[in-house]
Amino acid sequence: MELLERYLQAVKFWLPSRQSNDIVAELSADLYAQVEDRESALGRKLTTPEIEALLKQRGRPFLVANRFLPQRSLIGPALFPIYRFAMKVVFFCYLVPWLLMSLAIAFSGSIAPAARPSHAGPVWLGAVAQLSSRMIPTAFIALATVTLIFALIERAHEKSNFLEKWNPSQLPPLRNPNQIPRAASTFEMAVNWVFFIWWATHMNATQFSIGSSIHIAVSPQWSWFYWSYFILALANATLAAANLMRPYWTPLRATLRLLSDATGAILFCWLLKANLLVSIAIATVPQDKSLLITQAINLWMPRIFPLAIALTLLIAGLDIYRILRVQPSTTPPTA
Amino acid sequence: MNPESFENLRLELRRGCLVLAVLAALRREQYGYTLRKTLAEHGLEIDEGTLYPLLRRLETQGLLASQWREEDKRKKRFYLLSPGGAQVLDLLLAEWRSIDTSINEVLKEQTHGIA
Repeated sequence: MELLERYLQAVKFWLPSRQSNDIVAELSADLYAQVEDRESALGRKLTTPEIEALLKQRGRPFLVANRFLPQRSLIGPALFPIYRFAMKVVFFCYLVPWLLMSLAIAFSGSIAPAARPSHAGPVWLGAVAQLSSRMIPTAFIALATVTLIFALIERAHEKSNFLEKWNPSQLPPLRNPNQIPRAASTFEMAVNWVFFIWWATHMNATQFSIGSSIHIAVSPQWSWFYWSYFILALANATLAAANLMRPYWTPLRATLRLLSDATGAILFCWLLKANLLVSIAIATVPQDKSLLITQAINLWMPRIFPLAIALTLLIAGLDIYRILRVQPSTTPPTA
Repeated sequence: MNPESFENLRLELRRGCLVLAVLAALRREQYGYTLRKTLAEHGLEIDEGTLYPLLRRLETQGLLASQWREEDKRKKRFYLLSPGGAQVLDLLLAEWRSIDTSINEVLKEQTHGIA
């Protein structure tokens, strides 16, 4: 019977002290009654393995005690879907970009040499080690902060039940994936026109000045880049105007958007590789330092190239998805 | 059919019925172990990990009354349906019968529809 007492003691450990004696006394009465019942049926005392089997059937002491405790959760079922959504947002909109940026910086060799021990192995290994040592605390703090905020909201919800108070008229309008928001088209058109005017009036040269102290010289190949972007900005502004007039995607306009985005991205990638910068002259900086800055920029631009390619593929992927999503039979929504 | 899904549905269905069965069985005073045996004899197996927290909850809600008494040289806690519990039991039984009637009608309607 010592085993029974040990079992009850283990259950008692997990119970709130205010109720533990009462609950354990009741469980004890039940347990001993069951043992006596079995013994009288068998006509003998129960063996230790039989008692062990009986206790095993009742369950682990912690789980038995747990059923007597109030069912509480850090984040309850009502808030959990919102919590999961917030975690996804933090993961994809904060942690993943942070990781990608850190990876890009680390692998383009910006890790301070002093941060690497002299006996360290390959550079990439040091970069990964340094990155993971920063990644873990960053991820932990971000995710823990979200969890803490939601735990506090859960406590507030238990008291005020504020999720029950809502107004159906405030539900978001019906979403049409083919609809182009007019605000987005207006903004896009304005940005493209401002860019176009600035580009046309300031960038048609091989030498530019920023204020009176910075002078930039580029190679003659720049004119190719200049005219390409000139046409592209004009095309984008026109497309935005068309989208404003007819605010829904059609296969044709979605394809034009893919072409314009792809052209812009390819031109930008070419710019990174073309080594167009000839010199930068800064009035307040000695010539040799200006030369160093020029070299540094020319060194850095090709290093960003892989990132630009990744971005290009991402944009193209989203544009292709839009083309696939747009139904050819799409009719303009009735306003 | 996934057996686990069926088991979950079965447990869900039984959960509400167990409250009804416990209240009905406690029209006669009993302590936990004999109550378990009574229910098991009528085909309603209930483990102690479910029964005792349920008894406590029903007592907190004022549906049951309990008292510690010594019987067979052992202290036991006896439960009995309270007057409030008896009223609730009547209401729950009415609800139970109404659900039973509704389900039978739905089944009858569908059987006729199929035929």
